[in-house]
Amino acid sequence: MNRVRARNESAWLLPNDGTRTNHRLRADMRRYDDTEEVDLAVVGCGAGGGVLTQRLARAGWKVVAFDAGPFWDPDADWVSDEAGSHHLYWTDPRVIGGTDPVPLGNNNSGRGVGGSMVHFAGYAPRLHPSDFRTASQDGVGVDWPISYEDLEPYYVAMEEELPVAGQHWPWGKPHSYPHSPHPLGVDGELFVLGCHRLGIDVRVGPVAITNGRFGNRPHCIYRGFCLQGCKVNAKASPLITHVPDALAHGAEVRADSMVSRVVLGEDGRARGVEYFRDGRPRFQRARAVAVAGYSIETPRLLLNSADARFPDGLCNDHGLVGRCVMVQGAVQVAGRFEHEVRMYKTPPPGASTEAFYETDPNNDFARGFSLQTVAPLPIAWAEHVAAEGHWGHVLREYMRDYVHWAVLGTLCEFLPLPHNRVILADETDRYGLPVAKFLYSQCDNDRAMMGAAKEKMEAILDAAGADDTLSIERYAHLVGGCRMGESERTGVVDSELRTFAVPNLFVVDGSVLPTQGAANPALTIMALAARAADCMIRRRD
Amino acid sequence: MSEKFPGYDVLGQADRWDDVTKGVVLRRLGPPPALRFFTPDEEAVVRPLVERLLGLEEAPECHVVEQLDAKLTEHVGPGYRHDDMPEDWEVWRQSVHALEEDARKRKGVAFAELDAGTQRQMLEEIRTTDGDWHGLPASKVWSRWMSDLCSIFYSHPLVWNEIGFGGPAYPRGYKAHSLSAAVEPWEVHSVDALDPVRWANRLAAAKERQR
Repeated sequence: MNRVRARNESAWLLPNDGTRTNHRLRADMRRYDDTEEVDLAVVGCGAGGGVLTQRLARAGWKVVAFDAGPFWDPDADWVSDEAGSHHLYWTDPRVIGGTDPVPLGNNNSGRGVGGSMVHFAGYAPRLHPSDFRTASQDGVGVDWPISYEDLEPYYVAMEEELPVAGQHWPWGKPHSYPHSPHPLGVDGELFVLGCHRLGIDVRVGPVAITNGRFGNRPHCIYRGFCLQGCKVNAKASPLITHVPDALAHGAEVRADSMVSRVVLGEDGRARGVEYFRDGRPRFQRARAVAVAGYSIETPRLLLNSADARFPDGLCNDHGLVGRCVMVQGAVQVAGRFEHEVRMYKTPPPGASTEAFYETDPNNDFARGFSLQTVAPLPIAWAEHVAAEGHWGHVLREYMRDYVHWAVLGTLCEFLPLPHNRVILADETDRYGLPVAKFLYSQCDNDRAMMGAAKEKMEAILDAAGADDTLSIERYAHLVGGCRMGESERTGVVDSELRTFAVPNLFVVDGSVLPTQGAANPALTIMALAARAADCMIRRRD
Repeated sequence: MSEKFPGYDVLGQADRWDDVTKGVVLRRLGPPPALRFFTPDEEAVVRPLVERLLGLEEAPECHVVEQLDAKLTEHVGPGYRHDDMPEDWEVWRQSVHALEEDARKRKGVAFAELDAGTQRQMLEEIRTTDGDWHGLPASKVWSRWMSDLCSIFYSHPLVWNEIGFGGPAYPRGYKAHSLSAAVEPWEVHSVDALDPVRWANRLAAAKERQR
């Protein structure tokens, strides 16, 4: 048995007959009674919760992973269609504000087993070593309580398990990928061409999409709808990369179950979670609880779990829950080419450059950005055109020209700021629970960086031969909100993702990131979850 | 306005799509639902509003108003609400009333009675308003309008023909995706690819029509 299969058999547990779901495995799934005290209740089955569940189930823990959304079957539930994929997003009520409010929903919020990775593009870069010490090195942000070296073995493990395809990576700590790079679409070829003409280093990848058979997962077929859920089982999400192995080792995935509260006992320890299923309130007993609901729902759940001991929200004695939520500045620039581009054909994640990732003393801002291909489908392309103020006949003309455009996007490392936070709004959702309100305002460093990234993309498209450009200001990803720190005064969780306030309560998702770098966060979240699992297993032994 | 992809019909590929996708996409060709959200008075404003915003004078019939009405009836939201805005469906209702009020106050007739040029002028004023318009942030009303309408209009397969989009591609996938071959045998080349000067001309003509 190969090395990867020996620690995670998920890809071999999927069917190889052209269908995508192992229904037998799900039917035979172990089911725990509410009154049975399981070893761990995990709230949320995405990048963090999915990996954590698999690792602990393998170690013999009795684990129940809750998810508010469905247990997806790619064959029956997902479509090759933009408008028909609205059900993949978290669309329960939420409120946004601040001077630069960040749209949620399809942009950054998933629902159902697999989490937002079901509709993420697929980019899976690592952070750079510098990301773990931006305060001491660049005078901005905050240092992590762990270093790159602490996470590195878990990066390697996750890259093998997803698996990640790409060229040798020269940035950060240079490394290779297990699968060779995918062929580019025309938009990717033009991006590479523009970079070469300007002397900018660029690479194909890194994307969590199979390039060659992996277990029973087939090769990518190049259909372009990565953001609508991969019907091929080629693009990675925990639904196919970790959940099958978790089920095979006795974990239960309890879908369509909305956790409403983490409950503490008189001894100050978590004793389980309250949740709704089929409209009925229920309570699952557990020896430990891991919250993995991502940067909006995790703070919301902790705040909604306030009790006599924690009147301002669970683990919120120091006002840190919900603070320093980050998004990346993600301006996109489109270039028009005489040649037909038809960017809808290959995976939107094609090539990237991290040449501008680190602090450059010549810039008027600290830290940096990455640039990547993005390839919007028609509805997303219409948003581009409308963002420039076009409407009516002019909108239609730009739209008719869709096949001639290539689109680049940036990820700008916006800084962690305390006023960017999740609080509870006055209104409630259908369960009667107060909904999250997410406030966001940029700082001068953010704005200066985004302007520089936009100019760089325009220059690259220009060098590649574009005869017209359009741009749209937008945001991507969410991290932070329950950051890890050295002490309870600087973090909600410690370096092992255990909350300082409650010894058997963990936060295992993107909300623990103290800074975000200019990398897509999925791989880092998974690596942190795998590391947290090792710590939990070691501590219990 | 000449065709840009002469003879292209994405529906010719429908038998190559998986059944679930086929079900979702082909449903858009069926009879439209009856209006439930908009009152007749509101409908009279919404129809020309949608026609102007999407430039529908020349377009395949794809029942945008009916689809919008269904979405607003069912409270299908985007997953967030701005703290200085009501819910989406309320934004539509309030803005439609505000537009009618503007038309009657400033032009002395219903919005629907105005000629297309005047309607466009009124809309362009809203688009370029800084701050509030009838108590709502104008730019956010505009974004809501455009976002809801574009996501309906550009989901219709007959409109995909107009933009040359290849549409659903499972389980078939795409084969031609390189500079040397970007067009599948069943796709139709963009007329502009044969005569690139036409992009600038087309855009100029569209801007002229918009005036």
